[in-house]
Amino acid sequence: MNGGFSHQQRDCDTHRRAFIADTGIGLAGIALASLLDRDGHAADVVGRRPPDGKPHFSPKAKNVIWLFMRGGFSHVESFDPKPALNEFAGKTIAETPWKSVQDPERLKNLRVVATNQDTQRNKLFPLQVGFKKYGQSGIEVSDFFPHIGGCIDDIAVIRSMWTTDDNHGAQVQFHSGRHMLDGLFPTIGAWVTYGLGSLNDNLPQFIAMGPRYFDKRDGHYLGPAYDAVTLKVDPKNPLAYAKPELDLSREEQELQFELIGRLNRFQAAQRPEDQSLLARIKSYELAFRMQTAVPEVIDFADETAAIRKLYGLDEAETKPFATQLLAARRFVEKGVRFIKIMHGDGAAGAWDAHSNLKSNHTKLSAQVDKPVAGLLMDLKQRGLLDETIVVFATEFGRTPGSQGSNGRDHHPFGFSVWMAGGGIKGGIVHGATDEIGFHAEEDPHYVTDIHATLMQQLGLDARRLEVPGHKRIEIDFGHPINEIIA
Amino acid sequence: MHACVPAPLRPRVEGNRGERESMMNRFLPVVVCWCFAVAAGGWASADDKVDYLTQIKPVLAAKCYSCHGVLKQEAELRLETRSLMLQGGESGEVIVPGEADKSLLVERITSEEGDRMPPPEEGGALKAEEIALIRTWIDQGAQSLQEQAPSDPREHWAFKQPVRADVPQVNDTEWALNPIDAFLAAGHQELGLVSVAPAEKHILLRRLYLDLIGLPPTRQQLHAFLKEDSTGAYESVVLDLLDSPQYGERWGRHWMDIWRYSDWYGLGKEVRYSQKHIWRWRDWIIESLNEDKPYNRMVVEMLAGDEVAPTDPGTLRATGFLVRNYFLFNRTTWLDDTVEHTSKAFLGLTMNCAKCHDHKYDPILQTDFYSMRAFFEPHQVRLDPVPGETDLDKDGLPRVFDADPDVPTYLFIRGNAKDPDKSRTIQPSVPGVLAFEGLHITPVSLSAEASNPALQPFVVEDHLREAEQAIESARDDVEMAKQQLAAAEQAASAIATTATREAEAPANSPVTVAEAEAALGIAETTLAAAELRPVALRTAHAADLAKADSSPPEMLPQLVSEAALAARKYEVAKAEKAVARTQQELTAADSETRTNAENELTTAQTNLEKARQQLAQPGEDYTSLRASLRAANGYGEYVAGEESRRGPFANVSTGRRTALANWIASRKNPLTARVAVNHIWLRHFGQPLVESVSDFGLRANKPAQHALLDWLAVEFMENNWSMKHLHRLIVTSRAYQLRSMLLGADESTKKADPQNQYYWRRRPLRMESQAIRDSLLHLAGVLDATVGGPSIAADKEDSVFRRSLYFTHSRDDRGRFVSMFDDADILSCYRRGESIIPQQALALANSKLALAMSRQITARLQQECGDATDEQFITIAFETVLQIQPTAEEAAACREMIEKTRAALAKSNHAQPVVRARENLVHALLNHNDFVTIR
Repeated sequence: MNGGFSHQQRDCDTHRRAFIADTGIGLAGIALASLLDRDGHAADVVGRRPPDGKPHFSPKAKNVIWLFMRGGFSHVESFDPKPALNEFAGKTIAETPWKSVQDPERLKNLRVVATNQDTQRNKLFPLQVGFKKYGQSGIEVSDFFPHIGGCIDDIAVIRSMWTTDDNHGAQVQFHSGRHMLDGLFPTIGAWVTYGLGSLNDNLPQFIAMGPRYFDKRDGHYLGPAYDAVTLKVDPKNPLAYAKPELDLSREEQELQFELIGRLNRFQAAQRPEDQSLLARIKSYELAFRMQTAVPEVIDFADETAAIRKLYGLDEAETKPFATQLLAARRFVEKGVRFIKIMHGDGAAGAWDAHSNLKSNHTKLSAQVDKPVAGLLMDLKQRGLLDETIVVFATEFGRTPGSQGSNGRDHHPFGFSVWMAGGGIKGGIVHGATDEIGFHAEEDPHYVTDIHATLMQQLGLDARRLEVPGHKRIEIDFGHPINEIIA
Repeated sequence: MHACVPAPLRPRVEGNRGERESMMNRFLPVVVCWCFAVAAGGWASADDKVDYLTQIKPVLAAKCYSCHGVLKQEAELRLETRSLMLQGGESGEVIVPGEADKSLLVERITSEEGDRMPPPEEGGALKAEEIALIRTWIDQGAQSLQEQAPSDPREHWAFKQPVRADVPQVNDTEWALNPIDAFLAAGHQELGLVSVAPAEKHILLRRLYLDLIGLPPTRQQLHAFLKEDSTGAYESVVLDLLDSPQYGERWGRHWMDIWRYSDWYGLGKEVRYSQKHIWRWRDWIIESLNEDKPYNRMVVEMLAGDEVAPTDPGTLRATGFLVRNYFLFNRTTWLDDTVEHTSKAFLGLTMNCAKCHDHKYDPILQTDFYSMRAFFEPHQVRLDPVPGETDLDKDGLPRVFDADPDVPTYLFIRGNAKDPDKSRTIQPSVPGVLAFEGLHITPVSLSAEASNPALQPFVVEDHLREAEQAIESARDDVEMAKQQLAAAEQAASAIATTATREAEAPANSPVTVAEAEAALGIAETTLAAAELRPVALRTAHAADLAKADSSPPEMLPQLVSEAALAARKYEVAKAEKAVARTQQELTAADSETRTNAENELTTAQTNLEKARQQLAQPGEDYTSLRASLRAANGYGEYVAGEESRRGPFANVSTGRRTALANWIASRKNPLTARVAVNHIWLRHFGQPLVESVSDFGLRANKPAQHALLDWLAVEFMENNWSMKHLHRLIVTSRAYQLRSMLLGADESTKKADPQNQYYWRRRPLRMESQAIRDSLLHLAGVLDATVGGPSIAADKEDSVFRRSLYFTHSRDDRGRFVSMFDDADILSCYRRGESIIPQQALALANSKLALAMSRQITARLQQECGDATDEQFITIAFETVLQIQPTAEEAAACREMIEKTRAALAKSNHAQPVVRARENLVHALLNHNDFVTIR
């Protein structure tokens, strides 16, 4: 006691405090997980110890670029052609040989939240777009995605996804593995960064771009440190408050940040359980480095005209998404672990084509098709595709039957996504829906199978990441789709 | 029990309540799949197997459950499961599997006598195909899967009225003083939990200040408190803080979160959401809190202030709660938001889930959603005038009123507004499970001033004052015009005498004599018209007042004649003015515009002639004063202009919203007090008693502290719903005063209750965004203590030093700094987030606000203790910014930083290395975790 009212009058563990004071040297750039581990008292109130940032087994991939089309793109008008829909167009499902798809027993996985959809969309709606075969593999891709079609030999199409939410909460479900009625849980991006940490101490390990709506967080019980850092790709203002707004030299600020770090670490010694404090320490270290690192990455000055063209930066329609994807490649080059890019504005998500499916998908696919193909080609020519997994996904497919005169409704029973790179086989189709695209019939995969596949390629065992007090259930873990792994 | 009357299936009929309660069991997830098969129904042939779950149950649910279900068992009969049907009621089993013809159920639904089910007054008979399906199903053996009968939702803990349990007896005397502590300690005792020690005084004082007024204590307040040893010192600070006007600002912001405060936004000048001047509602919130207005009264004023105090502008402000939901383009979206957030904010009910279908979990039918909408159906939004301003764009009072009592409410099939079920008009009512007493809807007749605000004395006075100002300014214009004419004449005569100096003439007089004469003509006619305006205003007002009188005076015809005469005179003057103007245009016209100007002059002269003729026969028409403006209901109305929206408005209000408000504010309502107590508790402790703060429905499990919650709810109600009473009770509890640090805490307690559901420790909180900015300003001594007033532009957050809640807060406009720290989402913010992201670090490290305030704080400290050594300065800075003293190692680290900074600055020839180094230290402390954290 010094007679006053300082931190010191508390019964603190001086040995521990001295220890942390010794290790915590300002801006040395220590990732949270490893920082906590080195500090030797990372255990929180329930005895949790974050992982050490090392893979559990030999990884095949290092980074993930996660592209998510909000609203639900039509599987039958993208990667899963169903000529039967043309043949039986206008007939009700009951009038076709596939009447049994509506057997209540086969619909039992559905968990309805709130939807206008009281009935199935029964009247089959013909395909709104043609398909062509692409590449050596000859896989059929719709005319909405000709550029992606051109890359098909690097892509593994999974045509047998299913989920349980028939409303847009399925967006959350695709990321967390849990139906929204169960609550909000850490997303795949949070798990990956929790398990592996950063490859670059100057940039966030997990970056998000594009609109979010239903769940604006990622970390949840893992803590806010695993939330994605949201960036705007605006070279003039990538990040709010990127530099001091009154005069303050870099040198002065460095001394300030060093002091902030030291003072906060003194506190951390007394409050080892305080995850928020640890997250704040880390946020300051990162903030200091991000001030220079982020604007550098988002500055495309050194990109050639050919590269800009490849992504579609030169066209108004493709530019917004192209800009995000080019930034994503640059972040991958700098070692950012997980980049999540959402496409499609609005609460539900722009791809939600309840009506005018053809014009909706024509417009939206034109925004993403070329940039995505550009990204794949660019990653490949730089040798980055080997260690980067690109995921192209959506929350559910769309009904084989029509909604109104020219739309399709939400369809959780069968839909398509694809993956490429990072040791994923190219030019293959895995799984299948029935002939009208209703149920994932052959090799069906719940959404967490995509998570499991990612985790496996990244060298992580999700079961070893489990946090005490937050028991995960079997469906959370999923099963790696071994058939698409090279 | 035997039936004396052979009417086993007879339902009791109570208006639409029966039907409302039908399908009451739908909230059970047992029947998740029906939706698919309803449409697949159709005629059953003997070969097709009828599916009970999809083809039978929905029919019975729609037609029978209201009277033969979990909430009501007419004739002791329930029909929700096969076994209940076999069990039967007073007349025994109602189905005989395999034998439809012997089944009472079939007999009664097919009966053509008076005993047909459902009875005619309750609804239509079953359709032939539905009856056929039921027959076939029974004939096929009446098979169904095992089903569990739904349990009674009225038994849900939150749907039962809270009861004040006896305060538990606890052994620990420290925990026996405050009933809150006694309830918590009972839990500790039972589970063997050991609570941590109380926080140190300095921590406690900072916690209390930030909690109650949103600002940290000053260094002086801190030292005074530390010196004070008396037992009542803490309580007296509590009382002082609750008495300070800043309490209302701090807690006002909390309630603004819950009640979705938003300034207007739209496109350019087009108001699409909320309304202008909605800040008046914000001020009402602050004032109500400061005067400790009972919470239930606040609810009534917010929902029905216009009905309970139709002429009190102070109370009318409260209806901003409803005004805020205004949406230009879509009335249904507007009312959906109103229903959703009224239910969530006051009742913790997710009524919105029942918009398209019955609620999946709670006993809320789709009909209930529309019955709730019916309370709001007649209401609209308008701007009323306020004293001193006649331009509603500049100032006004946004409020609601019932515009049309006769607008019907229909159920929208599957929530589709384009598909209303017009077969039945939905009446206002509350969900059956919560209908603890009848609703009393009594229409409210409104005074003339309430339905036509233009009759208020201040309105005519303001317009008269404006008219007088117009006269003054017209007089000035006449003077000026005369001078110009004189100058022009002088110039003209000068030109005439010295033609050689022609070129200079325009410099002396920019206008010709003819132009100057025309201008004078306009000025003089303008003045003449302006001078007639006050009479026209006064007489029109007098006539309007007389007309509005319940017993119009005998002199009414005379007043009307006077008003009409004044109006005609004014019209003539205006017509003369128009002639003067067109004359001027003609004077200025060139060859191209001449014809047009001539035509206009002719028209103006014709109009003048007409006006003069009308003056001879003034008639009874005059222009009434209009002072209010109803917000456009739809874009078409917006484009059509304001004329149709200026009032006067209906002189009766339906009383529907008052009835709803009284039901919510009733002591019998099981939800209202609990929901409010939970919100208050959450903000004191950083964790709520009921986790789902806006959903107390069946999915909300009974909370660990159920007895405490109920005790507090009853205590709240019995103390006249006084929030200050609750605050006092809570912050003086020991539980509130515990330490947040866990070092040395009992290990087994940590393991047994890691979530702190038993409040054996304190959870550290991150300050809300507004509190962070306000505290920065406060510590710098620049915080402007002015309470209330119009919203300040959000981009002035670092130049205008008012509290943050006074800045524009809308979808499109909000402070950049405050938005970094989980600012309230204007669409829904029942609970703030507490994220920790690098951008927050950048905001505190790089914003002009933080930098300027750290320099300002330093300047103050330098002034107060100019000769302080570094050592002393560090201590003072710690005490000022963090309300704590530095430890030796903290002080050493700071000294090192100051020295290094000074050296670096000296090297770069900085003018004031000493001061700047100290500024940088203070700035670093503002970035300390303990600055944004409430320990």
